[in-house]
Amino acid sequence: MTAEDHVVFVVDDDARIREALVDMLESYGIRAITFGSAGEYARAAKPEMTACLVLDVELPDINGLDFQTQIANAGHPPIVFITGHGSIPASVRAIRHGAVDFLTKPFSDADLMAAIRTALARDREERAARDELGALRRRHADLTPREREVLPLVISGLLNKQAAAELGISEVTLQMHRRNVMQKMDAASLADLVRMAEKLEIPLSGSRRAGGP
Amino acid sequence: MAISRPVCLALAVLACAAGMVAGWRLYLPLGLAPVVAVLFLRVASQWLLPLLGVATAGLAVSLLATNEGEGSLPDEGMNYGGCFALVLSLGGVLAAHRMLGMARAAPDRASRTLTEEAAPGEPAGAPLLHPDDRLASTLASARAFWTGVPQVMRYRQRQPDGSYRWFRTRSVPSYEAVVEISDLETVREEPMTHSPTFASPTADTVQAARTVEDLFGNGWAFDAAGAWIYLPLFAQTTLGLTPDDLNASLRDGDISWKLLLHPDEYEAVAIRWRHSLETGAPFRAEFRIRRANGVYAWAKTAAKPFLDTEGHIAGWFGTSIDIDLPKKTEAALRAKEFQLRQLIEAVPTMIWSTTASGTPTYANQRFIDTTGASLADITAPDGSASLSVIHPEDRQAARDAFGRSMLQGIPYAATYRQLRADGSYRWTATRAEPLRDEAGVIHQWYGVSVDIHERVVAEMSLRESEHAHRQLVETLPALIYCATPEGKPTYRSEKLRDYLGFGLTDKDDAERTRLENTLDAIIHPDDLAAVKERYAHALSTGEPYQMKHRLRRFDGVYRWVETRAAAMRNAEGTIVQWNGICLEIEDQVRAQEDLRLAQDNLARASQAASLAELSASIAHEVNQPLAAIVANSHTCLRWLRAEPPNHPRAMITAERIIRDSNAAADVVSRIRALFKQSVQPRTSTALPSVIGEARRLLTEEATRRRIRLHVDIEDGLPRVVFDRVQLQQVLINLLRNAMEAMEAAEGDKVVGIRVHRAEGDVQVRVSDLGAGVAFPDRIFEPFFTTKESGMGMGLAICRSIVESHGGRLWIESNEPRGAIFVFTLPVETDVAA
Repeated sequence: MTAEDHVVFVVDDDARIREALVDMLESYGIRAITFGSAGEYARAAKPEMTACLVLDVELPDINGLDFQTQIANAGHPPIVFITGHGSIPASVRAIRHGAVDFLTKPFSDADLMAAIRTALARDREERAARDELGALRRRHADLTPREREVLPLVISGLLNKQAAAELGISEVTLQMHRRNVMQKMDAASLADLVRMAEKLEIPLSGSRRAGGP
Repeated sequence: MAISRPVCLALAVLACAAGMVAGWRLYLPLGLAPVVAVLFLRVASQWLLPLLGVATAGLAVSLLATNEGEGSLPDEGMNYGGCFALVLSLGGVLAAHRMLGMARAAPDRASRTLTEEAAPGEPAGAPLLHPDDRLASTLASARAFWTGVPQVMRYRQRQPDGSYRWFRTRSVPSYEAVVEISDLETVREEPMTHSPTFASPTADTVQAARTVEDLFGNGWAFDAAGAWIYLPLFAQTTLGLTPDDLNASLRDGDISWKLLLHPDEYEAVAIRWRHSLETGAPFRAEFRIRRANGVYAWAKTAAKPFLDTEGHIAGWFGTSIDIDLPKKTEAALRAKEFQLRQLIEAVPTMIWSTTASGTPTYANQRFIDTTGASLADITAPDGSASLSVIHPEDRQAARDAFGRSMLQGIPYAATYRQLRADGSYRWTATRAEPLRDEAGVIHQWYGVSVDIHERVVAEMSLRESEHAHRQLVETLPALIYCATPEGKPTYRSEKLRDYLGFGLTDKDDAERTRLENTLDAIIHPDDLAAVKERYAHALSTGEPYQMKHRLRRFDGVYRWVETRAAAMRNAEGTIVQWNGICLEIEDQVRAQEDLRLAQDNLARASQAASLAELSASIAHEVNQPLAAIVANSHTCLRWLRAEPPNHPRAMITAERIIRDSNAAADVVSRIRALFKQSVQPRTSTALPSVIGEARRLLTEEATRRRIRLHVDIEDGLPRVVFDRVQLQQVLINLLRNAMEAMEAAEGDKVVGIRVHRAEGDVQVRVSDLGAGVAFPDRIFEPFFTTKESGMGMGLAICRSIVESHGGRLWIESNEPRGAIFVFTLPVETDVAA
């Protein structure tokens, strides 16, 4: 009954903990991959799927919290911290940096499982969002240069006539470009297109060209 | 009008001739004319007085000669008798005139020397004597002169009414010390009725001498060659010498005086005598004449030449008057004066005098020599004291003071720089007192000036050095004081007075000593006991005193100072004074305080850090297996609850639980082992040494916390067996707790350590004056702490150590406040048995 679409990475220097957690997660039908240190985890090739990182604070090579900071920009699965002796500042720091939970040993299986589930769910959402943005980027990349010029003008709410004047083209030509954009971007409506532009972080360009280069 | 001697002589001869012619042949009154003319001339020239006498005498002689030569002419008898009467009356007039001149010339002399008992030979008195007594009085005078023995005589003296009264007088030699021979000469006008022998000039000379003798009781005559021709009979008998005896010396070329003269004076007298004999100059001299008893007495001797009618010297006549007493008195006076002067000059001071109005009248030689200023120099043109010898800067003050003294008649005292002969100025002290008469009127000011330059300079340098020292003391940036050997403050520097805001004696009262009052007033109450204890110790032992304490400033603020005092001893080593210095160390103390706080904070931080580390380590060590156990337990349950239960997996999990539980137990026992004390061999040691060691270890901390450690160990304690290190740990723990308990306490901070025997144990009591213990029941529980940074293990460990030694540890309440931790240790005998 082990679901193969997600995995839990366990990093703890204590073999007994790793053993117990693997066993426990197995009893919940969750596959776990264990690492004895942060370095081990960092070096390992990880399967591209929904995941969660159960990270011990007290690691032999690096403090778990510092490791969290280290990998913050590398895109990592949500973290559930476990620690032998927790402190409020440490937990606050961990949560502020995006940790899902901060559990003090010994912890109940329910607490751990709740945290892991939350983490997996969050990872799943993040993965989805990452996938959609990738598709949008690919579609946006398919647009012709002229179409990429038309897009900001359209989403800025300019009338066709205004947008055409802005680009120095006829209104008919503009309408053709606009139709292509909507098609290529797979936008159902203008509002849909605006939302996509927002995700792609395309700036609005509503201002009239104020003459001069 | 000066008339030369020859003219006078000519006039006199003329007068004589005229007198003779007039009296004898012509008419008697005409004989008066030349006499009147001579009298008139006498007014103009004193020289004529003797000439007048000669002229008158000549007149009288011619009359007598005529009388004898002519025999008795009955018809002319009346005429001759009238002439004689005229001459007599003329003699009386002359005598009166001479007396008048005499009285005019020396009235004071007469009043001084002539008393009621005056010698009868005195010219004024002579005419008053009864003629019968005259010889007797003359003799008496002569006897007085030649013997030096006062003579008493009776004589009759004529009264103004012409009658005679008896007088009794005592005649002593030499009342008249100033007899002018020129005056005596007129006496020759006395009628010489008793010895009318005018055979020769020599006889005249003798006659003149006799006349003098009549008047002065003494007279003598020499011939022109200086040989005695007359010496009163009395003198001859008294001396046992005749004029021939005296004249014998002439044969040796000496003068005839020789036998009567003192050898010392002979030469001087001889020279003058010969001079007079040669030139005819009157002889006047004062010399000693030998009396009958061989004693030399001072006499004033005068002699005049007797001229014959041709003007040649016919002989010498004169007298000697006794001046022995005045001479000797004078000599004595002179000696006395000399002595006084010597004294004044010998006194090593400058002596001067001024009149009542301040005009300088005298300055002794030393004054003149020292200042180089004569009496004239110190007298201003207006007669006042010029004060030129006083330094210009001091002059006005001296002038004012002297003026004030003169005005008010109060003694004058001044100190000023006075000029010296070399032009320098030296400090001089001058005092002057007024001399008053009976009525209190000031006659003179007598002043003394003493050179006190060395003293003044020494004083000034002393003052300067004292001033410098005082300045040194006063300007030192410290608070300085002195005290008696008993500690009574005697001096405080200005800075200290300013700092305290009160003076040395301001806190004095009758009941308590100045030291106590001062200490109470200026020492912070918390430091007072310690200061008093230390100060008393220093005073009693003489050891230097050193103490850091808070001192009350004038504004009531207590500031930290360090006081150091040391004893000043005299040559014998006895303490004569305590000198103290007080340095403000507020900033220093504050800095130290800050440093201490920082240290404390650091220590606490590091303690906390190490504690956190320790607890983290403990937690990690324990929680790891616990976490595994919990996780395994859950897993085990899940395997067992699964449908179907997964027994193999559950068993594996259960085994892991057992394994991890054991691991956890190991961790716990390892931690216990960490806390467990090392087991050292216990030794039998004297407890006091361990306590002393603990005290030493904590002295620094106690001083920093202003806490006194008071140790009281009973004598003759039995030995106890204990682990030295452990027991020290207990002591330090308890002592430190006690000190920390008083950290916030007010007032006296004392930690007491008392060791005494109690039943079979030795009891150690550590007391404090802190706030006491709120939870006496729980305080020995492990991990129970009332301290912010405590682990709560200290007392638990202490108790376990004490109990491992067979003793007990408990807490009691201290009076009036604070707590006492008491632990016991069994005495050695019990263990040994």
